[in-house]
Amino acid sequence: MHVVTFSVAGRNNCAVIAGEPYVYARTDEGSFVMRARCPHRGGPLHLAELAPEGNRLVCPWHERKTSLTRLRQEIPAVRSGDTVTAVFPGLPDAEVCTGHRPLSADLAG
Amino acid sequence: MSHAPFPYEPFALHGQELRDAVVRYASNPLYLDNEEWQNSDNPYRRQLRPQVLRHLDFDRVPGRDEILDYSSLAVQRLLTSIYEADLVFLPKNGLQGEGRWEDFKRFYSPTNRVLGEMIRPALERYAFGFLDDEIETSGTWTAESLESYLESLNAHEAAGPSLSEKAISNSTDRERAARMWLIQFIPDFLSEASPMIRNVLGYYGAPQSEWFKIIIDEYGYGVHDTKHSRLFERTLESAGLETDVHRYWQYYLNSSLLMNNYFHYLGKNHELFFRYVGALYYTEATLVDFCRRATALLKDVFGDRADTQYFTEHVHIDQHHGRMALEKLIRPLVAEHGEQIIPEIVRGIEEYRRIQEIADEDFATQIAWMDNGPEFKKLHAPVWDALSSGRVTAPVADIVEPYGELSNTHCHDGDELCHIVSGTMKFVSGFDSHQILEAGEGTVIQRNRLHGAIIESEECVYQIHSVGDYKKCMS
Repeated sequence: MHVVTFSVAGRNNCAVIAGEPYVYARTDEGSFVMRARCPHRGGPLHLAELAPEGNRLVCPWHERKTSLTRLRQEIPAVRSGDTVTAVFPGLPDAEVCTGHRPLSADLAG
Repeated sequence: MSHAPFPYEPFALHGQELRDAVVRYASNPLYLDNEEWQNSDNPYRRQLRPQVLRHLDFDRVPGRDEILDYSSLAVQRLLTSIYEADLVFLPKNGLQGEGRWEDFKRFYSPTNRVLGEMIRPALERYAFGFLDDEIETSGTWTAESLESYLESLNAHEAAGPSLSEKAISNSTDRERAARMWLIQFIPDFLSEASPMIRNVLGYYGAPQSEWFKIIIDEYGYGVHDTKHSRLFERTLESAGLETDVHRYWQYYLNSSLLMNNYFHYLGKNHELFFRYVGALYYTEATLVDFCRRATALLKDVFGDRADTQYFTEHVHIDQHHGRMALEKLIRPLVAEHGEQIIPEIVRGIEEYRRIQEIADEDFATQIAWMDNGPEFKKLHAPVWDALSSGRVTAPVADIVEPYGELSNTHCHDGDELCHIVSGTMKFVSGFDSHQILEAGEGTVIQRNRLHGAIIESEECVYQIHSVGDYKKCMS
């Protein structure tokens, strides 16, 4: 497991664990750390919008829908002020870095 | 026959009703202003400045940026008094004389307790509500992810000096700064572990006995000379300070009370029990290194005069307490009550860290404020020039006070200029820290900085200009 502290917004708002990016999302239903890549074909899930029926994100590439409930549960995290500390799965020797990903209006709070 | 019960309604005070209840509680003679800077062996006297409370609004949750404002200081002082009505305090020199017996009865009276309890939930919302915005857990926490998170905290590792410690080391008056620092610990250390004891009562299995073991250590196994509060008394004495409870009430910083009250808040409200477990773990684990640094700092400032046994004792025992909190409390509680309690444990850790950060910055800023007293006095001239020339306008209060009038310590929500029209004022910016202000002189009063004043002439006429940000007057 990897414990990473990164910014909830702006520069370094993304933790990349073994090449897999994660961002901190704020929605009306709460805030959480989520995968930034769509499980379908790797589309930019961080730019996804909420489906009209709510509770699902629509990937901008192929309009594949991902359950927000599932995303919210995936990564245990705690936000303290402007930073969030998250516990990611992964092998101990995996490469860890931070970077930036823009967020859609629906995920930026 | 109807069996319909009364509709169940949660108890809550709001608006004017809340304000009236706060003023009613604080109007107890125990809480009126003091004519001296220090209380004298009377643990029941706490200056709450009730005359100001009717102008404050406690029916809201201030943000992080307001947490050091005067309303917050007032709330922390109120909560300290309310929580401590559960503890037993007796004067060192007995209850006879100087109205102490009457004060004892007033402090522990049903009226004082009930009035305090009525306003406590609203004041706690005001005092700690900002943490709901500051700290937020998410995702599904497991025992495994908790272990990884705890390990990542490096709570047992040596850390560099805190802002407070640096402020003392670099102060223009290191002994004064160190005394001010020790004073901040008094609300916690003289009644040490009292908030913890709130969780000893009840019936909750083996962790209850483990919790109790930590308290046994804090209480020195019933040998008074080894009780941690007694060790701390000796530290205070060695630094030239008195040891009667709340003698230095007026010098407690907002954030020092916040830190101490936080543990009473967690202990008093048992729905926050698991948060307390988290905060306890982090406190005990990090205290080892803190106490090591504190010992070195006090020895550096006071030399061999400093009695640091209080801190050296914690360097030893808190290695055990940190381990006990993890192995005997956190892990068994998670195993027994499920992973649903983990977010609360994590939240307790992060809340405590947040409060610690606030307290560290607050104290360091206060020491800079005390050290720079002469500089703030010099700033009177340009700021007064901006005001008297009309270049800057600000609300002004004209005040006339007689000899000996003591303005009990407080702070302001923005920068202010104190301008002396006639007479002499002793302007106090912390323990053993003051400037003498004569007619035509004055001082800038920095936002959120604790201060008070006493009139040293037959009469003093002065003005307080609420400039907001004094730098705007400097161009």
